[in-house]
Amino acid sequence: MIKDKLNYIIGGAFVFLLIAVFLFFSSPVRMQRVQAGFLGMISPFLKQGSGLQKKYTGLREGLRTLEQIEGEVKRLRVANKELSATNQMLRGLEAENNRLRNSLGYREKSLFNLMPGRIIARDASTWYQKIVIDRGKEEGIDPDMPVLTPEGLVGKTTIVSAHSSQVVLIADENCRVSASVEGTREQGIVKGERATGAGMPAIGLGFLSKQADLKPGMSVFTSGVGGVFPYGVMLGKIKEFSKRELDGHATLTPAVDFSAIEDVFVVVGKKEEEK
Amino acid sequence: MIFFGLLLVLMFLGLVLQHFIGPVPMLGARVLLMQMVMLYGALALPLPGMLAVTFAGGLMWDALHTQWIGDSVNEGQVEIAMGWSIVLYAALGTIMSGFRPLFLRGRWEIHCLLTGFCTSVMVLAEYLMITLRRQPITFVLDASVWWKIGGAGLLATMLAPLFFFLLNYLALLTGYDPQPEQQPGKLKR
Repeated sequence: MIKDKLNYIIGGAFVFLLIAVFLFFSSPVRMQRVQAGFLGMISPFLKQGSGLQKKYTGLREGLRTLEQIEGEVKRLRVANKELSATNQMLRGLEAENNRLRNSLGYREKSLFNLMPGRIIARDASTWYQKIVIDRGKEEGIDPDMPVLTPEGLVGKTTIVSAHSSQVVLIADENCRVSASVEGTREQGIVKGERATGAGMPAIGLGFLSKQADLKPGMSVFTSGVGGVFPYGVMLGKIKEFSKRELDGHATLTPAVDFSAIEDVFVVVGKKEEEK
Repeated sequence: MIFFGLLLVLMFLGLVLQHFIGPVPMLGARVLLMQMVMLYGALALPLPGMLAVTFAGGLMWDALHTQWIGDSVNEGQVEIAMGWSIVLYAALGTIMSGFRPLFLRGRWEIHCLLTGFCTSVMVLAEYLMITLRRQPITFVLDASVWWKIGGAGLLATMLAPLFFFLLNYLALLTGYDPQPEQQPGKLKR
């Protein structure tokens, strides 16, 4: 009887170890399939949860007086008019800029097709910085697509299931973005910093030259090197610059408040050139 | 068997719910709901059951959190291979199983203490694995890191009694007695 029980336990432990070892050595494609499958399984629940959370937040925020709402409508109308005017002006400038670039023999700056997406979950782990959005393969999303907001770069897609995708944020140590500093020839690599508290995650700009004359408030943009991220997307502003043994290093205030964003855009491809 | 199935469902729901609970302000530590249900299962179920819940927990965790590194996902490099969490959870589950005779006799505080300890060990092990994997190896050991590790364990210890009473109650409802050797007259749920 005891022997039978022991055999049963040893057999169970053996099968357990066998499956774990199989997972260790499974191919990347198979691993991605397992991840995408599980993401697809969990995402309907995440969508429901996100919807409920939004309703609850909306209910709390909805408890405002009529005066407050009227004030906000007025403010939004003014902001809308201002933005429309600015947009018109920028369209003109963009066309002019492209014409000048063409005449100088430069490549016309590309415009991108953007796919809007909603954040349905934020990361549940301690050491990673990720989000889940409600757009996936069926909507034209692939791995390694840049994700941004009007404020700046958010990150890139990694695991993509049928109707949801994981996005690794630029605040994660594993997401590296080549960047350049506005008004200088300085180029470096932006990546997240591991030890951050519960507040806004910090990002750092490394591999700068030691002689770099960087001041707080200078803007940092993507440089487009590497091919994953488009050129010229805002990453953040320099908070402080320090010289290390071999290079210069700056800490940045991210352009995007990762804890507050709700909607993002995925760069799904280049637009046809508009003549 | 019903209780075992129920535990798996609760682990899945815990994992979903975990996404909507942000880190605790100031500490940065997280409440690991799925792991708390799993650790209860590791103590309340016999060895094969413990292996099964830790396997399911590790698989679910890795399926969501295996991180792809390099310039492109297509490069096929992962930071910590899928399956590590299964081994880690099984090792911690085995420690918990070692204390099962005490638990069976009705010592419910064993569950609270071990849940806190094991949760901190999980977060610490993850930290060590990613630190040793990332180049150059730099151990950032400032206060925020310690709070994330210790804070998770502290939160788990504080919440463990609630989980214990709730899950014990559910176990008895489904006809499974997790503490059959408990002396009569002592607190059961």
